[in-house]
Amino acid sequence: MNKLAERYPEEIQAILAKYPPEHKRSAVMPLLYLAQREGGYVSKHDIADIAEICGITTSEVASLIGFYTLYHDEPAGKIRIQVCNDLPCALRGADDFLKELCDALGIQPGETTPDGLITVEAVMCLAACDKAPMFQTQTGEGLQYHENMTVEKTLALIESWREKEAAQ
Amino acid sequence: MTREVTLTIDGKQVTVPAGTVIVDAARKAGIDIPVFCYHPKMEPVGMCRMCLVEVGRPMRDRATGEPILEEDGSPKIQFGPKLETACTVPVSEGMVVVGLSEKVQAARKDILEFLLTSHPLDCPICDKGGECPLQDLTMAYGPSESRFIYDEKMHLEKHVPLGDLIYLDRERCIQCARCIRFQDEIAGDAVLEFYHRGRHTDVITNSEPGFDSYWSGNTTDICPVGALTTADFRFGARPWELKNAASICTHCPVGCNLTYNTRREAKSGGNVVIKRAMPRQNEEVNELWICDKGRFAYHFAESEERLTQPLVRKNGELTPVDWDEALTLIASQFRNAGERLLTLVGGRLPNEDLFNLKQLTEGLGGKVALHTYMGGGEYVVRHGLSAGSNLGDLGAGDTVMVIASDLEEEAPLWYLRLKQAAERGAKLIVANPRPTKLERYAGEVVRYTYGQELSIFDDLKAKVAGATNLVIFFGSEGLGLAGSKALAAACADLFVSSGHENTKPNNGLVGVWPAANTQGAWELGFTAGADLGAASLLYIVAADPVSDDTAAAEAIQNADFTVVQDLFLSETAALADVVLPAQAQVEREGTFVSGERRLQRFYPIVTAPGQTRPDFDIAAAIGEKLDIELKGRFPSLVFPQICAQVPAFAGLTYQKLAEVHPQWPLVDRSDRYYGGTSYGNQQGLGVHLQAAEAREIPAAPTAPALPEAEIIAVPVTTLYDHGRMVAASPVLQPRLRKPFIRLHPADAQKLKTTDGMTVGLAVDGGPVAPVLVIEDPAVPQGFALVARSMGVPIHQPATFEIRIAETSMA
Ligand code: SF4
Ligand code: SF4
Ligand code: FES
Ligand code: FES
Repeated sequence: MNKLAERYPEEIQAILAKYPPEHKRSAVMPLLYLAQREGGYVSKHDIADIAEICGITTSEVASLIGFYTLYHDEPAGKIRIQVCNDLPCALRGADDFLKELCDALGIQPGETTPDGLITVEAVMCLAACDKAPMFQTQTGEGLQYHENMTVEKTLALIESWREKEAAQ
Repeated sequence: MTREVTLTIDGKQVTVPAGTVIVDAARKAGIDIPVFCYHPKMEPVGMCRMCLVEVGRPMRDRATGEPILEEDGSPKIQFGPKLETACTVPVSEGMVVVGLSEKVQAARKDILEFLLTSHPLDCPICDKGGECPLQDLTMAYGPSESRFIYDEKMHLEKHVPLGDLIYLDRERCIQCARCIRFQDEIAGDAVLEFYHRGRHTDVITNSEPGFDSYWSGNTTDICPVGALTTADFRFGARPWELKNAASICTHCPVGCNLTYNTRREAKSGGNVVIKRAMPRQNEEVNELWICDKGRFAYHFAESEERLTQPLVRKNGELTPVDWDEALTLIASQFRNAGERLLTLVGGRLPNEDLFNLKQLTEGLGGKVALHTYMGGGEYVVRHGLSAGSNLGDLGAGDTVMVIASDLEEEAPLWYLRLKQAAERGAKLIVANPRPTKLERYAGEVVRYTYGQELSIFDDLKAKVAGATNLVIFFGSEGLGLAGSKALAAACADLFVSSGHENTKPNNGLVGVWPAANTQGAWELGFTAGADLGAASLLYIVAADPVSDDTAAAEAIQNADFTVVQDLFLSETAALADVVLPAQAQVEREGTFVSGERRLQRFYPIVTAPGQTRPDFDIAAAIGEKLDIELKGRFPSLVFPQICAQVPAFAGLTYQKLAEVHPQWPLVDRSDRYYGGTSYGNQQGLGVHLQAAEAREIPAAPTAPALPEAEIIAVPVTTLYDHGRMVAASPVLQPRLRKPFIRLHPADAQKLKTTDGMTVGLAVDGGPVAPVLVIEDPAVPQGFALVARSMGVPIHQPATFEIRIAETSMA
């Protein structure tokens, strides 16, 4: 029983149509995005479903999740704040920014706020070194850059997300 | 012919085929270039950088393309600015490779320093210590000190069970990916992968159950560090304490060459015991690999339940006696036996034992028979493979057909060999009533209905037409004795009518037999299908007919006198009048004939327990009491008699079986960084039996009809069955599946069962046993698969009954 195929029949067909049938395994990357669109992570069940669709093993699928930082196999907050703290950003204060932001939220890097909305993670260079402190947010909708940030600006942003969330 | 290329490595001229990578060229020339990630059986990946060398190539004038010469007229060589990986660079004409320069030495030192940054250096407690490539190469090339800070070493989990059989020590892994690539490229089970990146790179498995592959043990041989260890051997012994002795695997008809490592140890009462089974290189049989059954199922011989002394029934009880009393009693009963005597033997008996038993029985006027669920040996004796055959040579233009066999479950190494043949371009035809794993590699898949095997042969004719070489593997999936014999006859007919002759190498039939020496029994003239009930004197050796046939129990009860000779007090032995304790294969020497008709020799590994004696010797001892002269004591005395009597063995000697010749890749325990820790072969590669001259071939029997029923139970074979030879192995226990009945979901519904339910199953009116219901849409409707040797006797397609009320039995 392929739950993923049941959930997204058209999307999966559209993805598979892009690749020759004998290279179905190439569809694994877009399928992983699809799988984590709603829940923000790829579950064990999704891994098995994707493996079945692509004709590869579950270990091969899991390996890709491990390799790429944008795929996740553990549930986390609805919005992932991924702060770059690589060297150039660190020189522009990214380390302090990360620490202060986490303190303000009462969590450690890698953890999620108690309301389940925000996870803060440290990541490698995001190619916006001159605009540090910076982070990207990852949600089901995709990625968004936030550059030249301060802790205050970030907390205000988070507040606006919280309100939006409460309104829904 | 491939083009030859000449190059110079460390001043030595080497000529190798074009396309060879530098590492292999050096190896052929006896020059060591250290490697970690490279393995001669796998595609190079250039991941570890241990093999860096300086590579120079002859310079050419850009305008004219002419070689530029030095003043002395020799070609001018240009070296690249950087070192190159010798494992990925193919040789080219005039290339100059330098591995001895300071630059190269410095690079090796640096690579080792890097590899050791977070390596735990727990050699003193590491299973690999003493046979570890990382240890060896560090001693040879590494720095004696590290510039990295000891306290900054990463600490990772050290006992991660990847599955029930293999453990991973994450700290020791050097991320060479040999294990991952082996599983993907060679085994075809890509169940290992890397996870994360950089320093966090980890080997993981996501399969259910973990590391789900019949080949997992091989990764521990090729892992260049102690990161992968087997549940069987880990913390079991230090490699330098081990002795090694050559053997042949007893678990299937492939006949993989093994080396057993043994140790005399206090904890085993001062006895020599087997500590592990390792592959022994035979490129024509198992290359450098063995399956997990061969590696882990050797424990049966050391079981506490072995018979150790002769037993004679006295006042209804089997009572220990000495050999002479037992033999005297047998002699008194067997004297003038004539036609009343039937000797039933199992296919795991070596040739020498089969021969003596046959001589004894026929000398007394009795009959011999082979106990087997699969027939058709007569056809393989005539059309089997002969000298020069090597499945490793099959390729483009050749055809291999596999019919009625799930090869990975029945003879795993053949599965690997045929996968490779298909990858080399051979046409692989797989014909089976349900999908099997081998089909992934098949050029053609033929599906037929159970019982309709013979109806597809007209089609098959067209499919095998024009094959340069033709090898046909036939098995017993869904077939009983008569059915498999009829199938063998049809295969023989197809083979001959398509214009093939087995005097040509790589042409012939191969039976996927139930036992290691079933082929040997056929060669020695044994036949199957004896009626136990017709004999009043029974001599049953290495067979347990009662366990899968209630009629056998009756026959024994009705017989006047029954002798059973075995390793264990089997269900059959429990009914006997005399029980004789035999020796296991690892306790004595002898020979087996593999399914490919390769005669191979095995050697004594451990001392035999108690008063056990080898079967051939027991037969000789009985013979002595009855004035039938047979050779006992040494199988080497029996073997010449076989060669004198059986034409296929003519001219063979034990010495010939022990001959070896150089094999590629060159593996050697002294530089195991290259091929892994599997053993080279110094004890014999074996010899093919000769193609038999027109022996009389029985006419094709008619195939038996299927029984009448809406759903018919058919027998299938699984690798890890519940026979004593598997079940006695503690490490394999968690991998043993519950007895099952595998059904199409629609049929399951008809029977009012559901997936995962435990029900009572009785086949053909036999006893009821609890089994697990497995729903599987791949099972053809109208058939239920029941595995052999899993507690529910099934001989052939049969009717069955499901008892749902017996759920509680589970
Ligand atoms: S476990 Fe062994 S074989 Fe596998 S990647 Fe690590 S070091 Fe290499
Ligand atoms: S393939 Fe057969 S002979 Fe080889 S190790 Fe496995 S069981 Fe033994
Ligand atoms: S270092 Fe942070 S974006 Fe490049
Ligand atoms: S890079 Fe050549 S052996 Fe690893």
